[in-house]
Amino acid sequence: MPYLGGEEALRDVRRALNNPHVQADPLRYRAAVLRVIRLMTQGADVSGLFAEMVKAGAAADVVQKKLVQLMPGIQEYVQQPLLSGLRDRASYVRRIAVLGCAKVHRLQGDTEVDGALVNELYSLLRDQDPIVVVNCLRALEEILKKEGGVVINKPIAHHLLNRMADLDQWGQSEVLAFLLRYRPRSEEELFNILNLLDGYLKSSSPSVVMAATKLFLVLAREYPHVQADVLILRSLPGHFSSHYKKFFCSYSEPHYIKCQKMEVLCELVNDENVHQVLEELKGYCTDISVELAQGAISAIGSIARTYTEQCVGILTELLGLQQEHITSAVVQSFRDLVWLCPQCTDAVCQALPGCEDIIQDSEGKQALIWLLGAHGEKVPNAPYVLEDFVESVKSEVFPAVKMELLTALVRLFLTRPAECQDMLGRLLYHCIEEEKDMSVRDRGLFYYRLLQSGVEEVKRVLCSPKSDPSLGLLEDRTEQPVNAWAAEFNTLAPIYGKARWALVTAQQPVEPCYAFSPCTDSGNRGTESLVSEGSKEVLKVHPDTGSLTLIPDVALTAEQFEKTWLSLDVSCQQCLPWGGTVHPDTIQTALHVVHIHTIAMSKAGVQPWKAYFIAQDDSGCLFLTELLLEAEGSGMQVAVKQSEAKPEALQAFMSVFRTAVGAVAGLKS
Amino acid sequence: MLWLHLYGNALKGVAEKMIHSLFLINCSGDIFLEKHWKSVVSQSVCDYFFEAQEKAIDVENVPPVIPTPHHYLISIYRDKIFFVSVIQTEVPPLFVIEFLHRVADTFQDYFGECSETAIKDNVVIVYELLEEMLDNGFPLATESNILKELIKPPTILRSVVNSITGSSNVGDTLPTGQLSNIPWRRAGVKYTNNEAYFDVIEEIDAIIDKSGSTVFAEIQGVIDSCIKLSGMPDLSLSFMNPRLLDDVSFHPCIRFKRWESERVLSFIPPDGNFRLISYRVSSQNLVAIPVYVKHLISFKENSSSGRFDVTIGPKQNMGKTVEGVVMTVHMPKAVLNMNLTATQGGYTFDPVTKVLTWDVGKITPQKLPNLKGIVNLQSGAPKPEENPSLNIQFKIQQLAISGLKVNRLDMYGEKYKPFKGVKYITKAGKFQVRT
Repeated sequence: MPYLGGEEALRDVRRALNNPHVQADPLRYRAAVLRVIRLMTQGADVSGLFAEMVKAGAAADVVQKKLVQLMPGIQEYVQQPLLSGLRDRASYVRRIAVLGCAKVHRLQGDTEVDGALVNELYSLLRDQDPIVVVNCLRALEEILKKEGGVVINKPIAHHLLNRMADLDQWGQSEVLAFLLRYRPRSEEELFNILNLLDGYLKSSSPSVVMAATKLFLVLAREYPHVQADVLILRSLPGHFSSHYKKFFCSYSEPHYIKCQKMEVLCELVNDENVHQVLEELKGYCTDISVELAQGAISAIGSIARTYTEQCVGILTELLGLQQEHITSAVVQSFRDLVWLCPQCTDAVCQALPGCEDIIQDSEGKQALIWLLGAHGEKVPNAPYVLEDFVESVKSEVFPAVKMELLTALVRLFLTRPAECQDMLGRLLYHCIEEEKDMSVRDRGLFYYRLLQSGVEEVKRVLCSPKSDPSLGLLEDRTEQPVNAWAAEFNTLAPIYGKARWALVTAQQPVEPCYAFSPCTDSGNRGTESLVSEGSKEVLKVHPDTGSLTLIPDVALTAEQFEKTWLSLDVSCQQCLPWGGTVHPDTIQTALHVVHIHTIAMSKAGVQPWKAYFIAQDDSGCLFLTELLLEAEGSGMQVAVKQSEAKPEALQAFMSVFRTAVGAVAGLKS
Repeated sequence: MLWLHLYGNALKGVAEKMIHSLFLINCSGDIFLEKHWKSVVSQSVCDYFFEAQEKAIDVENVPPVIPTPHHYLISIYRDKIFFVSVIQTEVPPLFVIEFLHRVADTFQDYFGECSETAIKDNVVIVYELLEEMLDNGFPLATESNILKELIKPPTILRSVVNSITGSSNVGDTLPTGQLSNIPWRRAGVKYTNNEAYFDVIEEIDAIIDKSGSTVFAEIQGVIDSCIKLSGMPDLSLSFMNPRLLDDVSFHPCIRFKRWESERVLSFIPPDGNFRLISYRVSSQNLVAIPVYVKHLISFKENSSSGRFDVTIGPKQNMGKTVEGVVMTVHMPKAVLNMNLTATQGGYTFDPVTKVLTWDVGKITPQKLPNLKGIVNLQSGAPKPEENPSLNIQFKIQQLAISGLKVNRLDMYGEKYKPFKGVKYITKAGKFQVRT
C-alpha cells in the first residue's frame, strides 16, 4: 500500500498544517487536510492531529470545512443545521439530514429519544422524494431500536405500498422488508396488497424479487395455496421440466452453483427428459473436482429411485473407470438404492466384484461391506472379498469399517456358513483378543455371545428386512412447512444457522470500536495485557469497582469441588458467543492468569465440551464455574455457583471471567 | 449542505445496518483499497477470506458468504478484483451482492475499466463515489446519471485543471433531478444537439457437445440507451418482432400497460445513459450459433504426449464478420507444456495454471484459423480421463443474433427533431464447447 506512510507521514502532515505559509495558501492548506483524511481512511491513527484539524476548520474554504468535519466531533454544532436540513427545499439535503438524525442519535448515546424529532421523521414519511421516505424508515428504525423499531401501522403501510413504484431497487427491497411487520386486517386487504405487489416478483433486481417473495410467504401464512403459487419449483416441479436445460452446468460456473443445479435437475426429471438429464449428469461424474463428481453420482443415485434400470446401468459403467473416488461414491449410491428399490439388487450385486481393490476410504468400504453382508448370497465371491478384509483387519485404520465387517460377516455366515465359519472365528478372535478400540471389541463380544445362543436366535436378531421402500431412512430431505422457514427466507440464517447469527450480533456492544486508531487483532490484544498483568502477586481486576481480588492459590481437590458443586445452586448463568473450536490450553492459560484455576476439562474437539473452574476472593468466597459447549456453532454456556451470596462480587467475577474467555474466543482456530 | 452526511464517518459507534466496510483485493492477495462507512474494521478480518480462497483453489469457487467470529464477509469477484464487504447484522445477502456489482459497474462506467490500475489512478474519485453511493451503510445515490451530476467523471483536461486550480470533482450544485415530478428525470434539461441512441446487445450462452450439436443455448439481451434530449420527451419504441422476447425486465420509466397491450415501449426517458430493458430469448425460438469448432484433442495411453488440433469457423452469421475471437482452455493437470502452431493470432500456455489462451482475432471464411501441435504430459501420470472444455469469446457487430429489430422510434411532447440511432452487437457469453 503506497498510502500507508505511518509515523513519518503524520509528522510531515503536522508540519505542513502548522506551517504559516501553507495556512496562507488555501490550496496547499486544503491539500494538507486532504492528506490527513486520506491517512485516516487508510486506517492510520490521526487522533494526534485533532488540534491542528480544529484550527483548519476555521478556514473560509467550504470544501476544507467539509473535510475537517470528517474528523473532529462536532455534535453540539450539528443539531440546528440538521433540523433546518429536514425542512430544506432540496430533496438531496433532506435525504442526508434524515439519516444525519440517526447518526446524531447514536453519537449522543443513551440519551432520551427526542419525541419531537421522531414525530418530524414520521411526518417526513409523506415526503415527495422517495429516498427521503426510505431514509426516514432507516433512521426511525435506528433511533427507535430500543422500542422495537419503526411502527408500520395501516396508514403507513398503505402509503408505502402506494409509493413503491417510485423507489429505487434498494428502497423497494428495504420497504418490502419493513412491510413484513404489517398484518392486514381483512382477507380483502391482504389480497389487495398481494395483487399490488405481484409485479415485484418479476423485478429485474434479484434482491427485490427475494424480498417480495418473502413478503408473499409471510403475509399469506394462512393461505397455503397462495404460498404454493409463489414457490412453483417446490409445489409443481413439473412446470419447469421443459426448462431442464437451464440447469445444465456450464464449465466456468462456481462449484456451489453446479451442485445446486444438480439438485434442481433431480427434481425436474420426467419421462421425456430423463435420458438427456442422465447423459448430462454422466458427463459431470468424471469432473476433475472430486466433490462435483461425487455430487453427480449421488444425483444419479437419487434419480435411480424412479428410473432404476437406466441409472444402475450408468453407475455400473462408471465402475469401469476404476477411479477411487468414483467407485466409492457409486457403491454408496448402490447401498442406498437397494434399500429403497429392492428390484435392482441383482444388477447391483453383479456390478460389485472388483470394487474392493479400488475403494480406500471409510465410507466406501463400509458401503461395500454392508452390501456384501446383506446380499452376499447373490455375490459368488462375497466370502473371499470379505476374507481379504479379515486378513488385513490388523492394518485397518477405521473402527467403523471393522464394525461393519463384523456385522456383515455374521450375516453372511447365516446364508453361507461353510465358507464363512473359519474366518468368522478368526475375526472374532482378533476383535476380542487383539483389538484396541473398545467399541469394536464390545461388538465382537456381543456377536460372540449371540452366536453362543444358537443359530436360530442369531437369525431372529439379525435377519431384519433387507429393504423397505416405505422407510425413507436414507432420505434426509424432510419437507418442512413453509411457515417454519419463511421468516428466515432471504436472510443469512439458513446458511449458517440462526442461533449463531444472533450470537454474533449480541457480541457487538462489547466489541471495542476504534474509529481512528490502528486496529490490532482484538483477541491478541486481550491475551497480551492479561499475561503482562498476571505476573503480579495479587491481581486487581476491575479497577473501577475494585470490589474483587482473587487469591492466587486455592486449595481444593476435585472431590471437594464436586461435593461443593452439587451442594450449591447456580447463582449466575450466561451464554457467551462462541465461534469455532475450543482450545482447552488457551482457555486454561488465560484463566490461570486471572487466578481462576482449572479443576477438570474435556479434550479439544469433544462434543459436548465441558470444563470446571474454581476461584476464591480475599474474603474467602468461592466461585465454582462450569463451561459447556453443546455443539460447534452454539454458544458457550457458563454457570457459576458461589459459596456465599455476594451479588457485587459475582458481577465482578463474571466480568473478569468474560474478559478472559472473550479474549481467547476471538482467536482464530 | 452537502457535508451534512459526511460526519457519520467520524462517529465512534456500533454498526446498525447493511454494509460496514469494503475491501478491494487483487488476485495476488493484496488489499489495495479499503473503505469504512462506520468504525474501522481491521484488515485482519480479510484473513478469513484468504483462508476460504485458499480452500477454494479456483477464484470462482470462493463461497460468496463467509462467516467469521464477529462479522460476515460477502464478496463478489469481478474483473480480477475481489470486492469483499463486511457485514455485522442480518441482511438479505442478494441485496449486498447486487450492490457490490453496482459499485463495480460504476467504476467501469467512470474509468472505462474496472481494474486495479484504474482504481488506484483515480483513488480520490473512488472514495468520493463510495461516499455518495453508501451513506451510513445504506445505498444512497447509485444511478449513474445522478452520480455524474454530483461527481464528474475524470477527463484528462479536468484533471489538469484540477491540479492547477485545486478544485475537485465534486460538483458545487446539488443534483437537481430529484425535484422534478418524474423521479428518474431531472427538470430543465437542455441540449444543442438532441440525440437518442440505443444499443441492442445480445450475449449467447451455449453448451456445444462433442459432436457439435447444441446441448443448451440461450440469448441474454439488453437495450442500453444514451438519451440526450431537451425538455420532457415522451418516447415510444416499437419492434418488428416483439414476440421474440421472453422474460423482459424493464426500467421503471416504461409504461408496463402499454407493453402488455401493444408490445410497444412507451416511456419518458431518464437523462443520459441507462438500461432500458433486459430480456431473454430461448426455448421456443431456436438459437442460431454463429461459430463452429472442429477439434481433435487426444491423449495416448502410456505415452507422455497428446495431440491438439482446433479449427474455428463462422456459421449462420448472416454475412457479418466474427471478430475478437479468443479461446481459453483449462488443460488437465497432467499437461506440462504445449508446442503448437497457430495459423493466425498468438497463443500462450501458462504451465502453472494450465490455461491455454489463443487470441484469434477476426475470422476470414477463406482461411479458417487453426491451432495445432503436441501436448507434453507428465511422464508416468495416468492419462487424463476427461478432455478439456473450450471457452470461446467472440463479437459480431451490426447483428442481433436473435433477429430482434427495432421498427421505429417516435417522440411526443417536444417539437424539435432528434437524431436517432440503433446499434446491434452480438457477443459470446458463457460459450463452451465440450471435446
